[in-house]
Amino acid sequence: MDLAKYRTLFLEEASEHLAEMSRALLVLEKDPASTDSIDLVFRMAHSTKSMAASLGYDAISEIAHRLEDRMQVVRAAGRIEDAADLPLLFRGLETLERMVDVVRETGEPPPPDPELAQVLGSAPGLKKKVLRRR
Amino acid sequence: MKGRVLVADDAAFMRQMIREILEAEGLEVVGEAVDGVEAIDQFSKLHPDLVTMDIVMPRRSGIDAVKGILELDPHARIVMCSALGQETLVMEALQAGARDFIVKPFKPDNVIATLAKVLEKES
Repeated sequence: MDLAKYRTLFLEEASEHLAEMSRALLVLEKDPASTDSIDLVFRMAHSTKSMAASLGYDAISEIAHRLEDRMQVVRAAGRIEDAADLPLLFRGLETLERMVDVVRETGEPPPPDPELAQVLGSAPGLKKKVLRRR
Repeated sequence: MKGRVLVADDAAFMRQMIREILEAEGLEVVGEAVDGVEAIDQFSKLHPDLVTMDIVMPRRSGIDAVKGILELDPHARIVMCSALGQETLVMEALQAGARDFIVKPFKPDNVIATLAKVLEKES
């Protein structure tokens, strides 16, 4: 596999995905039930996760995966119900942007952010919603 | 290995990666689709021997596209491209008529072994 070629492809496509995610989160700030925006954030997180995993960028893949999981819950609810969710989603997006910048600037995998991964995976809103749906 | 393949995935990165894996084995990628609607449309025009189908795509999902393609051709061979955490969706796709699945990140040997198995089987 031509790693340099795929790194370039990744940087282009991941940057587009994160820009789309940012626009969709801004819509969700005004309309927490925007189905198109909820689906878009979910798909962009999912796609970023797969691309990053293919190149061994585990830190990016992990944060994207956690965002995808959170958006799965939001999708099931049909809206962002927890006021704490949006700031957390924005924080996840900003972290992904920073990590992609590290790849762009160094060509190396970025370091992990275990604290954010833990917060995204275990925020009370997520657990509460999952339990409520069982 | 011989066969004409349609690759459906909304990410250009993943389409390029799977194209390289398939072409290195002599398979011909006859078309690409960026969403479920395009996958059904391309299938009806190209009549490929096999389709690799991403699950999460815009407009119509991969599972919807499986159903749409099988309405056009009940013998169509479709292999799902799944990722970590999509086990339920993979089961749904297999129940809808997909033949098998491959998992991202792709391991070329696994991809080729799965596709060879599906292509060898009588439709």
